[in-house]
Amino acid sequence: MNIPVVLAILVVFAFLAFRKANLFILALAWWIGAFVFFRFGFTAPIPASVISIYMGIVSLATLAFVSSSEQRREEVSRPLLRLMTEKRFAPLLAATIIAIPALAAANVYVQMNVPIEPPFFPRTIHPASPPEITVHEKKISIDLGDNPFRELEKSNPQEFRQHVENGRRVYYQNCVFCHGDNLAGNGMFVHGLDPIPTNFADGDTIANLRETFLFWRASKGGPGLPEEGGPWNSAMPAWEKILKEDEIWDAVLFLYEFTGERPRAREEHAQ
Amino acid sequence: MNGVRSKQLLFVLGPLTGLVMFGAVIIVATFLTNREYREPDRAPIAIVDPTPRASGLADEAAAADAAAKAKPYVEAEYRRFPVVGSRVAIWAVAQLHLLFAAFVLAVPIFALIIEVIGYKTGDKRYDRLAHEFSKLLSVSFSLTATFGAFLTFMLIALYPKFTNYLMSVFSPTFLPYVLLFFAEAFFLYTYYYGWGKFHPLVHIALGAGLNLVGTGIMLIANSWLTFMMSPRGISDSGALISLEDAINNYTWMPINVHRIIANVAFGGSVAAAYAAFKFLAADTDEERAHYDWMGYIGNFVAIISFLPLPFAGYWLAKEIYAYSQTLGLTMMGGAFSWLFIIQAVLIGNLFLGANYYLWLGMGRVEGAQPFQRFVKYLLVAIVLCFMIWATPRSIIATVSEIRAMGGSTHPILGFFGVMSAKNTAVNILILTTFMSFLLYRRTGRTATVSWAKTGQAVQLLIFGAAAVFVIFLGVYGYFVEASVRIGLSVPQVSSVLFAMVSISVIDIFLFRRPKLTGEVRWGRIPAISQYVLIFIAVTFTWLMGLMGYVRSGLRQHWHVYGVIRDTSPDAFTPTLGFATQVVSVTVLLFFVLIGFVFWLASLHDRPDFEAGTKAS
Amino acid sequence: MTIPLPARIGLLVVLTTGFYTYVGQLVPQKEVQPPQETAIRADLTTADMVTVGRQIMEGKGLCFTCHTIGKSGVLRFPDLDGVASRAATREPGLSDVEYFAKSIYAPDSFIVPGFNPGMPVINKPPIGLTDQEILCVIAYLQTLGGTATVTLQTSHRYYTAPGAIPPAPPDEKAEPGEKLPLTLPPAQKGETPKAPAAGPTPGKKGEV
Repeated sequence: MNIPVVLAILVVFAFLAFRKANLFILALAWWIGAFVFFRFGFTAPIPASVISIYMGIVSLATLAFVSSSEQRREEVSRPLLRLMTEKRFAPLLAATIIAIPALAAANVYVQMNVPIEPPFFPRTIHPASPPEITVHEKKISIDLGDNPFRELEKSNPQEFRQHVENGRRVYYQNCVFCHGDNLAGNGMFVHGLDPIPTNFADGDTIANLRETFLFWRASKGGPGLPEEGGPWNSAMPAWEKILKEDEIWDAVLFLYEFTGERPRAREEHAQ
Repeated sequence: MNGVRSKQLLFVLGPLTGLVMFGAVIIVATFLTNREYREPDRAPIAIVDPTPRASGLADEAAAADAAAKAKPYVEAEYRRFPVVGSRVAIWAVAQLHLLFAAFVLAVPIFALIIEVIGYKTGDKRYDRLAHEFSKLLSVSFSLTATFGAFLTFMLIALYPKFTNYLMSVFSPTFLPYVLLFFAEAFFLYTYYYGWGKFHPLVHIALGAGLNLVGTGIMLIANSWLTFMMSPRGISDSGALISLEDAINNYTWMPINVHRIIANVAFGGSVAAAYAAFKFLAADTDEERAHYDWMGYIGNFVAIISFLPLPFAGYWLAKEIYAYSQTLGLTMMGGAFSWLFIIQAVLIGNLFLGANYYLWLGMGRVEGAQPFQRFVKYLLVAIVLCFMIWATPRSIIATVSEIRAMGGSTHPILGFFGVMSAKNTAVNILILTTFMSFLLYRRTGRTATVSWAKTGQAVQLLIFGAAAVFVIFLGVYGYFVEASVRIGLSVPQVSSVLFAMVSISVIDIFLFRRPKLTGEVRWGRIPAISQYVLIFIAVTFTWLMGLMGYVRSGLRQHWHVYGVIRDTSPDAFTPTLGFATQVVSVTVLLFFVLIGFVFWLASLHDRPDFEAGTKAS
Repeated sequence: MTIPLPARIGLLVVLTTGFYTYVGQLVPQKEVQPPQETAIRADLTTADMVTVGRQIMEGKGLCFTCHTIGKSGVLRFPDLDGVASRAATREPGLSDVEYFAKSIYAPDSFIVPGFNPGMPVINKPPIGLTDQEILCVIAYLQTLGGTATVTLQTSHRYYTAPGAIPPAPPDEKAEPGEKLPLTLPPAQKGETPKAPAAGPTPGKKGEV
């Protein structure tokens, strides 16, 4: 709900009720109020197709209401009659006569003048990984495996640092062009890509993924994405054709080191 | 006089002579050119020596003759109807047959009820009204029979193999069907032409017989079509095992009930449209008063029988699911899911139109102003329910709109797309319409019984409790799993039915010997109300066409679901846009024909033509 | 100027039907073609079978009317994402192929916890996939979280591949005593692996 808009509508209706406005004005206010409410009253906007259904119903109901009794018919037609017959309203009448086709024309113009949009493909954001993959003729389990160098973090910090530095080198020689200097998915090639490269620095994405998942994505790239949930259109290369296995693992280490995130731990399923 | 006549003759003869001359020229020309081609030397064929060309032609003719004689007999699987194709042709004819049949079955039901009311109360007006309703019957009956024969011939001609299969299963039912048709004709014509000629009880018995026979005909025909949808009593390869099972298949009973109720609703609305037509064409206040009343009764019949219709629909849908999950899901989730949004628009319009007619009707009664103030609350309830019902499950949106919504479902509207919300909306709609009826009943009279205050409070309490309970169950449905949620519609429906029945019963006792505070001035209603009645009739007809399409189209590429496959070029399921076009054309045809029926019925009231009165 | 009454009523009728037709044009327009009778060639490779299986699931099999791939939240039927990794361990003693076959040929014999039974028997009308088509579907299901291994020569307890009749009995899952009636006509069905899909069952009935 968009509170200010809703409040504004309520204030207008309170004012109209206070002034004991004529039924014609009230009906008009209901119609416009309903439109403003549907169009702007929600923080997540309602699609135009649904608004047109709703406004069709509101129009029918308003017409039904103002004509539902003799008294109401009379009350509604009075201002209209005065507008059409009394001399002093002549300019207003002329303006109305011009406004009706003008509004219709404006509506057509606005409807035709929409920007061209690409067709919509529903995409699952998180592809499902296979249980195991083969990289350089070595089977690596995505579900059960781990980064082979992760344990060095505790057992041998010196060597771990070397792996991270190697990962940094790999990243800035290969990945930086798309994933960006600060890993925010905004490298210089980004403008040509749809979907855009993953942002590692958003504090959310890689923290929810396991290192083996990142390894799978890096080594198999766009071509290795599962068939379902497509079309993916991902431009990520399959890095196993360029990098060694250790280099990919090092780069994964670097991603976590640079962003300060921790990889997701393996969940032990009670089988 | 003579001059005029000869002038008229010239007008007719001129074009006729032109046509004759045109035809003659064509015949002569073809004759000449043919001869010239075949016999270039213009000599009779007998005296010319057989040339190689002539013998070649003779050989060819002989060969063609021999080939024609040797042509084997092949049984056709399908034949094509010109231009529109077999499916659309069958579709339109079947729909027209059904619309007239529904009308012919429905009118005797409420005509008989009205006649009985007239007999019981001794009020001659009711008897006249029932007679007037049945005036529409005889022409409609012959149109029904004509379209039925048309449909049968079309089936045999266009779908010979499939028709043959249906006959192999249902042949024992055909003879009873035809005999019942004879009985229907007997009862219908004696009921109509014997009006006022017999003892009232004999006449009522004739009406009852008419209804019984009509229902029997419908039951038999329903067994054929429900068998196509949910076959039973046959072997895997389609051979008949049990005719009883084939007749009493899963969807037979639900369709029977659904159709009887829907027929009455449809018949009432068409009869109301007839009254509206007569009202608008009326010259005197007396006629206007009579036809206003007739339209009111017709509409009353239509709406009262329309209220339980959604419940019968639930039952039918439930049986379809029970028969085949695939069939059910095709209906609600697959290709046909958008059809139910169109249906929501139609039913919303029906409710709105029906309520609007009642509100307009309050103008007939003196001193109905106090009740007018409730109209806006009723209207708000109807509009909200209508909106919820018309909110689609999967919204059509552009890419930027989906981005702005943050996904393909709207965070708020998403709640309205599902079953819980829709069920609640339709139940509240029914309650609101019922409320409009109650208010209308209260115009112009005050209850005089001693417990009037309490009675009305109890009524209001039941009404409020039912509404709250329905909404509560609707909201509760979001917090439970699907299997429980489906079950919730039963208490929802029962509470609404309970509220309607109990409130009506209280109302009947409440308004025994009421004090009349204002007179009902029949005929004093704006003309627009009569157009609303016609609008309701068109909407009902269109709705029947649409729902008939979904019932039949559901089988998709099967003639008999899961048994006999449709291999014709028309086996695909058309787009909804195309289907609605066919429905519209059918509905327009129906209204042209029913307009003809109305016109014939109104000929009754015209003075007899007497020679000489015109010429002078 | 007054318009005659029949014209006014006619106009109302035409406008009303016109309005409903217009509403009918606003909703999504989709024409559903009857399922294509694609012949399963005997020389399909496993990779081809995956593609064909996916097509069958989208089209003739009607699988995605109920099942989803990669959707969470309130589901009507089990989600198939990564199903291959679960299939092998779902029922003890059943390999993934056997489990898939069982859930397709006899769907009510095992219900995934938390769901209601409701899946139709897939090798019978109205869906009526052939044994070969079902093998293709299984091949595709195996790629969801695993690797496809089945070929058209694969046998399982509901189907004996024509070339594999002799080696079928030693198959550890084929328990002759527990055969379901569905397997009774394998010889008749199996004799023509090139038979068009759904040929043996609905096709013949159509000619009755």
